Amino acid sequence: MGHKIAQGGRYALLTAALLFSLAPVYWMLTISLKTEVDQFASPPPWFVFTPTLEHYYDAFVTRGFGNYLLTSAIVAVASTACALVIGTLAAYGLARFELPWRLNRRLSLWILSTRMFPAIVTAVPLFLMMRDVQLLNTRASLIIVYTGFNLPFVVWMMRGFFADLPRDLEEAALIDGDSRLGALVRVVLPLVSPGLAATAVFCLIVSWNEFLFALVLTQTDAAMTLPVGIAGRVTQYEIKWGVMSAAATVAIIPILVFALAVQKYLVRGLSMGAVKG
Amino acid sequence: MRKSRRFFSALNKRELLLPALFLAPAIAVLLALSIYPLIYSITISLQQETAAGVTWGLGNFTRLLSDNFFLTALAHTFVYAVAALTCEFLLGLGLALLLNKQIRGRGVFRASLLIPMMLPAVVVGVIWRLMLNPNFGAINETLKQFGINTGSLTWTASPKLAMLSVIAVDVWQWTPFVFLVLLAGLQAIPQEPYEAALIDGSSRWQTFWHVTLPLLKPSILIVLLLRTMDLLRVFDQIFILTEGGPGFATETISLYIYRTAFRFFDFGYAAAMSFVLLALTNVISAIYIKFLQAKETI
Repeated sequence: MGHKIAQGGRYALLTAALLFSLAPVYWMLTISLKTEVDQFASPPPWFVFTPTLEHYYDAFVTRGFGNYLLTSAIVAVASTACALVIGTLAAYGLARFELPWRLNRRLSLWILSTRMFPAIVTAVPLFLMMRDVQLLNTRASLIIVYTGFNLPFVVWMMRGFFADLPRDLEEAALIDGDSRLGALVRVVLPLVSPGLAATAVFCLIVSWNEFLFALVLTQTDAAMTLPVGIAGRVTQYEIKWGVMSAAATVAIIPILVFALAVQKYLVRGLSMGAVKG
Repeated sequence: MRKSRRFFSALNKRELLLPALFLAPAIAVLLALSIYPLIYSITISLQQETAAGVTWGLGNFTRLLSDNFFLTALAHTFVYAVAALTCEFLLGLGLALLLNKQIRGRGVFRASLLIPMMLPAVVVGVIWRLMLNPNFGAINETLKQFGINTGSLTWTASPKLAMLSVIAVDVWQWTPFVFLVLLAGLQAIPQEPYEAALIDGSSRWQTFWHVTLPLLKPSILIVLLLRTMDLLRVFDQIFILTEGGPGFATETISLYIYRTAFRFFDFGYAAAMSFVLLALTNVISAIYIKFLQAKETI
């Protein structure tokens, strides 16, 4: 009997935690779908109102959010691809070669330590560097910066996946006359592809969510990402709540899809500081 | 790498060339995007622009000590970090202990709890602007339905409540993370110590204090380390929620550095402050890591 009450209490607690976590997200979703009259109604219509897509139309067709969305997607995909290629090579080098002077460990730790800098510390010099090479307000600047940002994470994740893999298969490929790179591409990568996919998804999320570098490096419509676009609207004198909520809702859709895809790896990834800079 | 090749025999030379090729692109990128910026930052922090031109010296660093805005921002950062860390840890630990049991539908619960921490910080800011808005926000509207007068509850616009508001938002977003890491830690603890404690007739409290807590210590330290690092550098949510205001009420170090660099264009001074932040995070993480390693050697 006591056991059943305790179990019931646990479900009640979990449900409360869920409500607490999700209700604010639901609130934003409703604001994005309400007419302005309903948005400001008191008491607000919590569940029943006539939904409208006018704010989505306003944001993505009339205002520039379609372009911000495109920039966010391009920057996230390109920087993830670069970080994956460069990082996987390095991870393989660290996992499969014995380097002198305990360089395997030292290099790994150094690579990880570059990830530990608070973002604002590198944001100031990176702004000046990008200004010097005239890359401010370009997508390229963000792709470059995010590649560097994601790289340590890729190296650490992939190094772990490579280390978990027995060497026999590659050795067989090497004996068959494959080059090291050939063995990596044809034999090893297919075996670690689930881990590679999870790592890629993490990089996509980080790049998609990133705000500070994007804010510092891009101030024009041509290269602004979705978070910077949203922030620009928030801090304006007159705030269009519906437009802002619509853009923010669209910004979280890919994240939700990705989060479900990598659930299994999430605690491991987050423990590496994957999601926040 | 180049130095090593000189010292190694012909055979080793080839064996080192290959890993060097694998590692070179990553090292080059990190040197260009992490190490070079740091050096760049050091040089500008040592420069000051005066009427006579650029002078070199420690002026930017000595200026820090008498800058009340900086010291206030530092204090805000500590208050923010300590308060949020305490709440997140106690709530996360409590939930993990209560829910460390077989629960049906665990996958659904976990997936839903993950949502807040995956959201872009900007979106978290937007969500809570909508929740806390004094005119139509869900919080005040809910309070009104219980007959509470919300006239003075302006949350992020109130000098008294703004700090509390931004702390609460962080607690909302990151408590699930603390909870999930500690839950994973609890579930990795083997059953034997508990059985031994049961045989010894330990009370629940004794079991928690002498068995659970020591075995959970590595997870606790890691989660505290990660949260502390994030909290000390906080920028995004506060920028959206309050922009450091009202007045200076929620200005943290990162925000003050941002303002100094990109509003007042005093890059040298901003760089000097960023090194204080860097030193601070390094010292604190070193302390955590020391505790972690002390644990491992036992």
